[in-house]
Amino acid sequence: MRGTNLRILAVVLGTLALYTLIANAIPQVQSEVPQTLTLGANVTPEQLVAAGEKVFTGIGGCTTCHGLGTRAPNLLTDEKGAGPIGARCAKREPGKSCKQYLYESLDQPTAYVVQGYQPIMPVMTRQLSPQQIWAVIAFLESQGGTVDVAASDIPAQTTTPAGASGGGGAAPFAGGSTDPKAIIQAAGCTGCHTIDGQGAKIAPDLTHVGSRRNADSIRKKILDPASSTVKGYERFAGIMPKTFGTLMSATQLEALVQFLAAHR
Amino acid sequence: MSDVALALQAAADSLPAYRDFPGIGARAAVWITAEVHLMFAAFVLGVPMFAVVTEAIGIFNKEERYDRLSKEFTRLLLVAYSATAIWGALLTMFLTTLYPRFWRYLAAIFGPSMWLYAGLFLFESFTLYLYYYGWDRWKHGRAKWGHWGLGILLNVWGTIVMFIANSWLTFMMSPPRDITPTTDPTTVKLWHVIANATWMPVNVHRLIANVVFGGAVVAAYASYRFLSAKTDEERAHYDWMGYVGNFIAMSALIVLPFAGYWLGREIYQYDQSMGITLMGGFMSWLWVIQAFLIAVLFLTGNYYLWLGMERIPGAERFRPYTKWLLAILVLGAIVWGTPHTMIADSKELAAMGGSHHPFLGALGVMSAKNTAVNLMILTTFLSFLLYRRANKRPVVPWARAGTLVQAAMFALAAAVVLFFGIRGYFVEAIVRIGFSVYQVLAVLTCIVSVTVIDVFMSRGAQSLGTIQWGKMPPRSQYALFVLAVTFTWLMGLMGFARSGIRQYWHVWQVMQDTSRYAATPALGYAAKMISACVLIFLVLIAFVFWLGGLAEKSTFVASAPKEGVHAGH
Repeated sequence: MRGTNLRILAVVLGTLALYTLIANAIPQVQSEVPQTLTLGANVTPEQLVAAGEKVFTGIGGCTTCHGLGTRAPNLLTDEKGAGPIGARCAKREPGKSCKQYLYESLDQPTAYVVQGYQPIMPVMTRQLSPQQIWAVIAFLESQGGTVDVAASDIPAQTTTPAGASGGGGAAPFAGGSTDPKAIIQAAGCTGCHTIDGQGAKIAPDLTHVGSRRNADSIRKKILDPASSTVKGYERFAGIMPKTFGTLMSATQLEALVQFLAAHR
Repeated sequence: MSDVALALQAAADSLPAYRDFPGIGARAAVWITAEVHLMFAAFVLGVPMFAVVTEAIGIFNKEERYDRLSKEFTRLLLVAYSATAIWGALLTMFLTTLYPRFWRYLAAIFGPSMWLYAGLFLFESFTLYLYYYGWDRWKHGRAKWGHWGLGILLNVWGTIVMFIANSWLTFMMSPPRDITPTTDPTTVKLWHVIANATWMPVNVHRLIANVVFGGAVVAAYASYRFLSAKTDEERAHYDWMGYVGNFIAMSALIVLPFAGYWLGREIYQYDQSMGITLMGGFMSWLWVIQAFLIAVLFLTGNYYLWLGMERIPGAERFRPYTKWLLAILVLGAIVWGTPHTMIADSKELAAMGGSHHPFLGALGVMSAKNTAVNLMILTTFLSFLLYRRANKRPVVPWARAGTLVQAAMFALAAAVVLFFGIRGYFVEAIVRIGFSVYQVLAVLTCIVSVTVIDVFMSRGAQSLGTIQWGKMPPRSQYALFVLAVTFTWLMGLMGFARSGIRQYWHVWQVMQDTSRYAATPALGYAAKMISACVLIFLVLIAFVFWLGGLAEKSTFVASAPKEGVHAGH
């Protein structure tokens, strides 16, 4: 009986050891708590690149789509023979340097959409602080290109924490405009919605939204996107940013609500 | 507010957010107690489900051995219940002392359901005692039906208790979107938070998983009794019990991925970023480990069946097929374990030459993986079918036609699985996801219809000999231990996945974890924790079984006839 017990013990311990060893042999990735990024005036390109990589693979959530090869262009590896992003960014838009192009793609992602992909990228300047944005640009430039981001590119006194929006000396939303079309462009609504024939079809078409919802309902949906979900779009529930209420001024919100309510 | 109330409020406000636990830290202390409690809870919830079913088989078929088996299952529960309660109390103590503010937040929302939980646990315990100790008293006639009703009631209490506990943990994962960090927890409607997005999928997933787990642990218990048996009769009994336990575990395991798929879908619908963290984010490597564990389960489960055929006269007819079944299982496991969407740094991406491996990347996509796992399920079912038919020769006039129809159904199901697997490479992701439903339906339809045909075809079948229960090589019993350890480890791993996708949040995007343990650990650390939990559980459950054996002899020893070698399955 002693022999049987020992054999059972060996089987149990051996099985546990095998699983533990395999799990320890694979790459170890720990999910860190995001830290607020603080860069000094003498920050070096290397420090920017290192900080940018952390944002890219962490709080930025960039790897959610970039790198899968299906939702968005690969950035760290070759994309259709053009090399990684650092090697191709200066050739994307005529007259725009790599740095300008990358900033534009983070600030106004729908301004230029790579052929074959949908305009689904959120406006990252609303989700990340300017320091994080410029660190990401430096990191992307380092992928096959030359890093020319410098401390002077980063606005002073802008220490908006990760995840926060607006505030902290940031420019007013849509330049303070109350023109609904300017607000729609700044908010990137057409990244997911179609309105008057423009935009993507990921979320419900807004061209006749006024016939489905009244002004109160539209306002509620903008302020609290999870309050309701149009039938047929349940799988995209949760995608719409919840930050519009804090980004827009009350005047801008009302201008947008009345504009959409009039779209019958 | 009275002075006393003010004093209490002041005391509550001055609570520290966290305290530490000596040696292993607060997180590890809560992790171990929660996991071991959960393992015992899964066992005491899973076993009554099939105890009631086997008791019903005994009543309807008038087969005493099923009744004895059911009683033996229940006997294992008695001390395990106490262990569940002790670990539950430890968990509550650790939560209240190590995470006091978080506990206060949860209690403010779920207070009434916590009282109900405690009350129902008492009802459940008393029902169990009545069920077990009344077994011989209410053994015949109408009293037996009443006794069976107690078994049903035991399951009802247990299921409600589990649903209540699930509401707390699923709230942490998927709180309703109108609850924000500034929401006063005392103003939240209880049902609103209970019926959160992942509550019902987790309920269903756990119900099935508990049966799998209970079956595997019972099989391991039986295998130990088999290995230590002193007589052939005892060995035969525990061989049969091990077979039944393993059959229960493997049958429920086949359904489990579909419940898991539903849960995954709900997680994605609730919050895409959470879903992507789970499947393609920092947890992506976890699925490779899961694939390895599932491969071990399929291979070991089939190996046990193939060894079992050696004790069945007539089974030698099917032995030549074994190598082909093994080949399909191994190939399926390799495809299923192929990594695809992994978190990789720039050096790793450069080394691969892209985001996916140039050759293996094609095998790592869901089209290939779904195809592989569905074919593995079909293969396992075929193994079981061959086992079931091993000592029978059908005598119904349509036996040949029936067998041909069964073969055609297998071929058709495999063809449907392969067709949609290949077609999936040429359509968009949203269309491809829908294909998995057709694959699953094809496999389930095949399993159900082939089983129905087989049941009718085996009526009055000629026996090629009696199953020689007890004539199993010892390695078959060690295989049952490997299955039990693997099921338990898998449960710990998937628990880590479910809990870990909250990352640095106690309650997702509502209450942040600001403790020193807020970062979610890598798989290596998690694996050590899981192994420690499994070892603690196995040692304790062995002790519990031994303790139960001290108080009362096995139901087999007490009441089995001396010539009681089982003749069928």
